[in-house]
Amino acid sequence: MPQVRALFCPNCGGTIQLRGYAQTVNAVCEHCLSVLDTKAESLRVIQQIQERTRIEPAIPLGSRGTFEGTRYEAIGFQQRSIDVDDETYSWREYLLFNPYKGYRYLTEYDGHWNYVRTLPALPVRSKYLTRPALVYEGRRFVHFQHAAARTTYVLGEFPWQVRTGETVGTDDFISPPYLLSAESTEHEVVYSLGTYTEPAAVWQAFGLQGAPPWRRGVFANQPSPYSRPASMWRRFASLTALLLVVLISVAIITPHERVLEQVYRYASHTPAAAPFVTPTFELRGRPSSVVVRVDTDIDNDAASFALALINDETGQVWDFGADLGYWHGRDEDGNWSEGRRNAAATVPDVPAGRYYLRVEPSIDEAAPISGVASDPNRERGFKYTLSVTRGWFGWWPFLVAFPLLLIPPIAATARYYSFEGKRWSESDYSTYLSS
Amino acid sequence: MRHPLFTLYGLIVMAAAGWTSWRGLTFSRVDQTTVAPKSIRDNPGAYRPIYIPHRRYFGGK
Repeated sequence: MPQVRALFCPNCGGTIQLRGYAQTVNAVCEHCLSVLDTKAESLRVIQQIQERTRIEPAIPLGSRGTFEGTRYEAIGFQQRSIDVDDETYSWREYLLFNPYKGYRYLTEYDGHWNYVRTLPALPVRSKYLTRPALVYEGRRFVHFQHAAARTTYVLGEFPWQVRTGETVGTDDFISPPYLLSAESTEHEVVYSLGTYTEPAAVWQAFGLQGAPPWRRGVFANQPSPYSRPASMWRRFASLTALLLVVLISVAIITPHERVLEQVYRYASHTPAAAPFVTPTFELRGRPSSVVVRVDTDIDNDAASFALALINDETGQVWDFGADLGYWHGRDEDGNWSEGRRNAAATVPDVPAGRYYLRVEPSIDEAAPISGVASDPNRERGFKYTLSVTRGWFGWWPFLVAFPLLLIPPIAATARYYSFEGKRWSESDYSTYLSS
Repeated sequence: MRHPLFTLYGLIVMAAAGWTSWRGLTFSRVDQTTVAPKSIRDNPGAYRPIYIPHRRYFGGK
């Protein structure tokens, strides 16, 4: 890296070091903040008034750092501001110089850094949905924000005419982690490409002490830590399809064998009302469910069945029951009916073996029938069919598994769009809802 | 492979659902106990069922 050239400020006599050599057009005296014309034969003051508050650059001028394998020196610093809704937002720009590679820039806003170079070719104007866009090297940059950027503070040297108070129009287009900026004046438009850079990388490149300031908010071209949820939804679709294949396969190979069907009659106050056991029946194959079903011809009455499936060899008992009741009639609104004449109970995970059922049917003797108090001595009865079927397939595991599979893609989608919402809330399109 | 954790989670959910279906597990209220099978066959009335009937009176509109 070549040595610096030293001059004296005509305003305060302070020493001015020029690092940019022939390319330097303006320099700012670091002692009195006067802007000087370095192209004049002797240094000439062209602007004396700057904001009185001095701003200390986070990267001291004269520091050297390596980016993309090239060593650059920080030679200029400026702060620029935009006004949005009576609010002033400021960011800082560092001018980096290498005599062989030329100029690069580092910009910083709220702890977010970008490494910037001017574009050697013009981007192509395009559209993304209804928004303006630019296409550069095959990448589409979507318009983010238009503003008038005002230079509010300068320090160091610059290869262009620099003044505080100067205003240029800026349009930012983003394609994270890149940001394409168009700065326009009356005479020209300058395009530059920024690459989002981790603050720690800047600190490391320049060997700065301490930790970089915390980042606030989400910056325009900050890469999202969350991937687009589309791939997550594709994986969800494939997992759901696989789940359906598995469950349909299970449904196909699940046996559906009627192993018992007996018709009985219940009559209160008779031996037919007493508990009894069915003939034994054989359950074969792998452990699976057993469905015990009761179909009755009950009429304006209710009944309960206390049931026990008993393994005739081991004595293991599955104790369960079934309740049913059916009423009907006619009133001023017409015919009505409610309840049901049948009931089924499912006994899960029953191993193979020889079984029988213990059945204890009952009715509520004291219950009125259709609103009319019943006579407890009146005989009440009904016919019923008891059937036992080996193997039952239900879709409830799918109904439980499907929402469980939905949770991760929904969470990923919410996370992704929450981040994007924060990004676009700072743009001209703050009502952003979709990508 | 993308989303390995989600894939693993999905496969676990799928395996659990498949196994549940395979064994025919349900949420049915079924109590289990053990008895001497012959004693019930000889005297069905001696067994005291765990199941308690739901005495629900519908009784018309």
